[in-house]
Amino acid sequence: MAIHTNLYLLVFLPLVMLIYQLVPRNKRWGVLLSASYVLYFSFSRFLVLLLMATSAFTWKIALWMDDLGAQSAQKQKECADRKQKSEVKKDFQKKRVKVLRLGVLVLLGILFYVNYYNFVAQNVNVFLGALGAKLPMARVLFPMGISFYTLEAVGYMADVYWERYPAEKHLGKVALFLSFFPQIMEGPIARFPDTAEALFSGAPIQMANINEGLLRILWGLSKKMVVSDRLTLLTNLIFGNYKNYHGSFIIMAAITYTIQLYMEFSGSIDIVIGSGKIFGVTIPENFNQPFSAQSAAEFWRRWHMSLGNWFKNYVFYPMTVSPMVKNWSKKARKKYGKYWSMVGTSAMALFPVWVATGVWHGAGWKYLFYGMYYFVILLLGVALEPLKEKRNKKLGIDPNASWFKTLRILKTWVIIFTGELFFNAKTLTAGFEMFFSIFGNFHISSIWKYWPDDLLTTGDVYAIVGGCIIVWIVGFLKEHGWDARKKILESATPARWSILFTLVFALLLFGAYGTGYQPVDLIYAGF
Amino acid sequence: MEQLLEILQDIDDSVDYETETKLIDDHILDSFGIITLIGEIEETFDIEVDAAEMTPENFNSAKAMWSMIQRLQEN
Repeated sequence: MAIHTNLYLLVFLPLVMLIYQLVPRNKRWGVLLSASYVLYFSFSRFLVLLLMATSAFTWKIALWMDDLGAQSAQKQKECADRKQKSEVKKDFQKKRVKVLRLGVLVLLGILFYVNYYNFVAQNVNVFLGALGAKLPMARVLFPMGISFYTLEAVGYMADVYWERYPAEKHLGKVALFLSFFPQIMEGPIARFPDTAEALFSGAPIQMANINEGLLRILWGLSKKMVVSDRLTLLTNLIFGNYKNYHGSFIIMAAITYTIQLYMEFSGSIDIVIGSGKIFGVTIPENFNQPFSAQSAAEFWRRWHMSLGNWFKNYVFYPMTVSPMVKNWSKKARKKYGKYWSMVGTSAMALFPVWVATGVWHGAGWKYLFYGMYYFVILLLGVALEPLKEKRNKKLGIDPNASWFKTLRILKTWVIIFTGELFFNAKTLTAGFEMFFSIFGNFHISSIWKYWPDDLLTTGDVYAIVGGCIIVWIVGFLKEHGWDARKKILESATPARWSILFTLVFALLLFGAYGTGYQPVDLIYAGF
Repeated sequence: MEQLLEILQDIDDSVDYETETKLIDDHILDSFGIITLIGEIEETFDIEVDAAEMTPENFNSAKAMWSMIQRLQEN
C-alpha cells in the first residue's frame, strides 16, 4: 500500500484520521504507531519485527548513554579538585563513546548486510575465484525504508551522545518517530526534535490542517501522475534500449529522467508532508526549487535536503573537527598556507560524505561513481573559487547580473542531467556508453524522425510541458517570495474549494491512465 | 570579539556580522566557510571545537560564536 495509491489515499488515511479523532488524546500516538506498523506490514510482512527491534535498540542505547552521563555528573560532584573531575569526565566519556559505537555499528551493520552483502561478495569472489574459494550469496529480504529509518536512528543516538537533547524515556515516542507511516518509505529523514513532540501530542485534527494537507497531497499527486508517470514510459524505453537510440535521444532521456525523478520524488514528499500536516505534524521539507541552483553545491542544498543535512551534520562536520583532519589541517596551514589547507580539509571531509551518499542509494559501481562525480565537482568548486573571483574582476563581470546567473543555472543543469544519466543507467558501463554516444552520434533531427508515437502522443507532450511550466511558475514565484499554496489557503472558502476541485479534475483529466500506463512505483522507496 | 569579526570579514566581507543572525540557516556561511572559520578560531583563541559544538545555534551569528568561544576558553 504505497502512499500514492487509492487504497492509501481513499481508505487507509481517512480511516486512520477517524480512529485517531475518536480515541482519547493520550492514546492517539498509539493509533499512529499501530497504523504505521500496519502499513509497514503490508510491504515487508514480518520484517516489521526488525523495525520494532531497531526502535527498541535505539531507545535503549540512547538511555544508556544518558544514564552514563548522569553517573558522570554525580561522580564529578564528589570529586575534590578540577583534575580529578576532568579524569572522571574523560572515563565516562570513553564509556559513552563505546555505547554509541555499539549502537551505530549494529544499525549500520544491518543496513550494510541487507543492501551490500551480495554486491561485496560478488566482487570479492572475482579475486577469490583465482584461489578456488568463494563467498556464499545470501538470500536477503529487503526491509522497506531501512535506509531512511537507520539514518534517523543513528542521528538520534549521535545527538543524544553530543547532549544536544536528552534521551527519550518513552519507547513509544522513539518508535513512532522512526516509523511514522507517511515517512517510512521515502523519508524525509527527520531529526527527533522535528517531529517527535507533535507526533506524540495527539493534537486534535483541525480543518485548517486538513485543507493544507489535502492541497499538498493533491499537488504532489498531480506532479506524479500528470508528468512523472507519463515520462516513465519514454525514459524506460531509451535507458532500456540505449544502443538503438541516437545521441540526441540520450540527452533527452537524461533530461526527461531528471524531470521524472524530480516530479515523482518531490510529488511523493508532498504527499508525505501533506499526510503529516493533517495530524498537525510538520515534516521537514526535502526540496526547495532545486533547478534554480547556480552551482552543484547549491543544488545539493535544495535537492533531497534531508539527506544532505544528515550527511552534513553527522559526517561532514564531525570529519572536519576530527583530530586527524584538524592535525593535518594545522600542519598544512604552516607548510602550504591557508588556501591549500582549506582545499585539503574540504577534500578529507567531502570524500566520506560522497562515498556514503553514493552507496546509500544502492549497491552498484554506478552509485559509487555518482558519489565520486559530485565529490570531484564540489571539490573543484571550492578549489577554483579564488580563480573565479579573479576572472570576474578581470573581465568586469558582475556575479549578480541576470545573464551571469542564468548561465550558471544552465551550467548546473548540465551537471545535474549528466549525473542522473549515470544514476539511472543500467550499469556503470552502460552509463559511459550512453554518455559517449552523445558526442559520436548527435543528430537533433532524429528526435522528430524516430519519435515513439505509440508511447507519447502529442496530447501527452502537451500535458508534460504544461505540467512542467505550472510547476516552474509556482517554484519561480515562491523563489521570489510569493507562495501560491499559502495564498490559496488564505483565500475565501469558495475560492479555496474551487482550486481544490480544479486540482482533482485536472488529476482525473490529465493523470496518466488507461492501457499501457501503470501507476509507477515510488523510485526512492527502492533505496 | 574584534578578532572574531576580523576573521569573519576575511572569509566574506559582504556580510554585516554585527546584525546577521541567520548565517547558517540562510546559507550565508557555507560548509567550506565553516572549515576556514574553525581553523582560524582554534588558532587565534587557543580552543578545541569538537563535533558536539557543530550546531547552527553556535554559528548563526557572531555573538553566538563569541559565546561559544568564551565558554570553550573557560573549560
